[in-house]
Amino acid sequence: MKVAFVLNNLGLYGGVGIVVEHARRLRADHGMDAQLVLAPRERRADWTHAGLVDVPVRTLDEARGERWDLAVATWWETLPAIYELDAARRAYFVQSMEERFYGPGEPERAAAALTHDLPLAFITEARWIAEQLRALQPGATVLYVRNGIDKAVFGPVPSPPVALDGPLRIVVEGSPDVPLKGVPDALAAAAAMREPHTVTLVCADREAATAAGARADRVVGPLTPAQMADLYDDCDVVLKLSRVEGMSAPPLEGFHRGATCVVSPVTGHEEYVVDGFNGVVVGWDDEHGCARALDLLARDRGHLHFLRVNALATARAWPSTGRSAETMALALARIARLPSPDPTGSGARVLAAARAAMEEHAVQRRDHQRLQTRMDRVERIMSRGPLRAARKLASRVRRS
Amino acid sequence: MQTWETRLVREPPPRLRVEHELRYELAAPLVRRAALWADLGCGSGVAAEHASAGFEGRAVLVDSAPDALEHAGRLVAHATTLQADLATPEGVEQVRTTLLADPPPGERVVTCFETLAHLERFAPLVELLGVLAQDERFTVLLSVPNDAFWALENPLHPTVWGEGSFEELRGLLPEPLVVLRQVPLAGSAVVVEGQVAGGLTLPGVDLGGELVPSHFIAAFGPSAHELGPRARAAGVDADAERRRERQRESDLAVLEARLADPGPPPG
Repeated sequence: MKVAFVLNNLGLYGGVGIVVEHARRLRADHGMDAQLVLAPRERRADWTHAGLVDVPVRTLDEARGERWDLAVATWWETLPAIYELDAARRAYFVQSMEERFYGPGEPERAAAALTHDLPLAFITEARWIAEQLRALQPGATVLYVRNGIDKAVFGPVPSPPVALDGPLRIVVEGSPDVPLKGVPDALAAAAAMREPHTVTLVCADREAATAAGARADRVVGPLTPAQMADLYDDCDVVLKLSRVEGMSAPPLEGFHRGATCVVSPVTGHEEYVVDGFNGVVVGWDDEHGCARALDLLARDRGHLHFLRVNALATARAWPSTGRSAETMALALARIARLPSPDPTGSGARVLAAARAAMEEHAVQRRDHQRLQTRMDRVERIMSRGPLRAARKLASRVRRS
Repeated sequence: MQTWETRLVREPPPRLRVEHELRYELAAPLVRRAALWADLGCGSGVAAEHASAGFEGRAVLVDSAPDALEHAGRLVAHATTLQADLATPEGVEQVRTTLLADPPPGERVVTCFETLAHLERFAPLVELLGVLAQDERFTVLLSVPNDAFWALENPLHPTVWGEGSFEELRGLLPEPLVVLRQVPLAGSAVVVEGQVAGGLTLPGVDLGGELVPSHFIAAFGPSAHELGPRARAAGVDADAERRRERQRESDLAVLEARLADPGPPPG
């Protein structure tokens, strides 16, 4: 079977790495001719994802001239490209509801949301996404394929070491500049702790984070997966307070190396975190609550170890990248075998989504016009000069 | 206590044996009236024997272990045996060819209990089961253990199954799909000394609430909708169980001692 995974770029994103690994495994282990097709004309910011050397990377122009059994979009902006390919079937690998990456006023938000209404078969990594897609399109084929963990790198340790004393070792992962990752919140919560602790921040742009005054004992990165595994080995807790995730990998990778986690109730955490059993789930925007949860782990080493033991057990049962690719192979084969989705209803859904986006835009425009009218008034007054000067002028006029 | 034994022999712990027999009892009404029944990963056939009572059709028993297969062939009536490695496309193709070469007219059933967990690669078999149900009118019953719940590292199970992996699997199986959750029971009985308490009637068991399943069962194909709740209980032969546990402890101690002091090299 010849499969095109259409990507927007080969940048340093977890989602891209997952697609590259699927393509590599499908070629190596399942006899599929899986290839990567770049949707944009220009290649940008390639990252040396492990496995990229084993997978052909094609431009859209090159891929357009060939026949494909299956074209798979991997990001909302890659949807147009799969319709440009000569493919027997089309599918959409959804790693998050991507409209959430944009603010309410941004036009991309509506466009990304609209792609979920298209008549396509879906593959997704998390049950919350599957549920949303099924709610949007009852009867659509929605297949669930969890992201595997590379057990060659993050192989589960035999047992977590018992840490009876010493500061609580906390790892925070993500760029402080990306608001959705909640890194400043995590650093603030750690800083609000009363018990002894150390914080290591891992981010791609270390210098920028340091310059911005990130409150961490150590700032490292970018790190290779093997370096991340080493870092988790010396860590008790992965602290992750993201606001938007499909299914966040770092806490799960930490689980494999014997760490537990403290996380926000972000979408996808329920795939592997059970509050009070293998990790701690804290509330939104609760810096002090999060700090107290970390303090508890620092103080109660028995509880910390209980969480770490169960986190490691969770990791042992989690699929490897090989297992995940096997499920992906079955999913692709099933989509290829099924008839193309019935487009009836899709037009209505797309139009309804467009209508909703239009109305949202109209509301924003009205708000904007109202503000503009007020601003015009303010500007008129301001243009007359400072108020005191105006009063003096008025009194002088009255006296004269 | 969770254990690793999966190859069912005459003396497994009662829990394992009852669980396995119950799955075959579930299949028995369909098997009994089938013209063709394939048991994939039949093992020694001890549990399959339960489903075969009253079966008059043609049975195909498939396993990779020749000794187990030979044993199964003796227990199940009207059976032919096929040694095949279900983890390979070639082994799966052997099964496909055997089942579809001149199949007798009538109903067709495949049982595939606790087999996927034994396979390093399960995609070829899952694909075949889907094709058999969709294109060839087989009713398929398969089960996977909930190993992930206990995070068991079972050396006999190269693939770990659990709630998440079953959720993945069910999306890959043909619709309509009947999903059953096998849950463990605990019990006890009082008997009068000197009297044989055969056919003891058990009271109704309240299975309210979300019980963690020990196994997930999926059924699909023409007769899958006929399946429903079922339970089975058996007495515990504590004497045999004690002997078995002590034998394990003793064997383990001896092996550990040998590992610690391998002695002079042979010869």
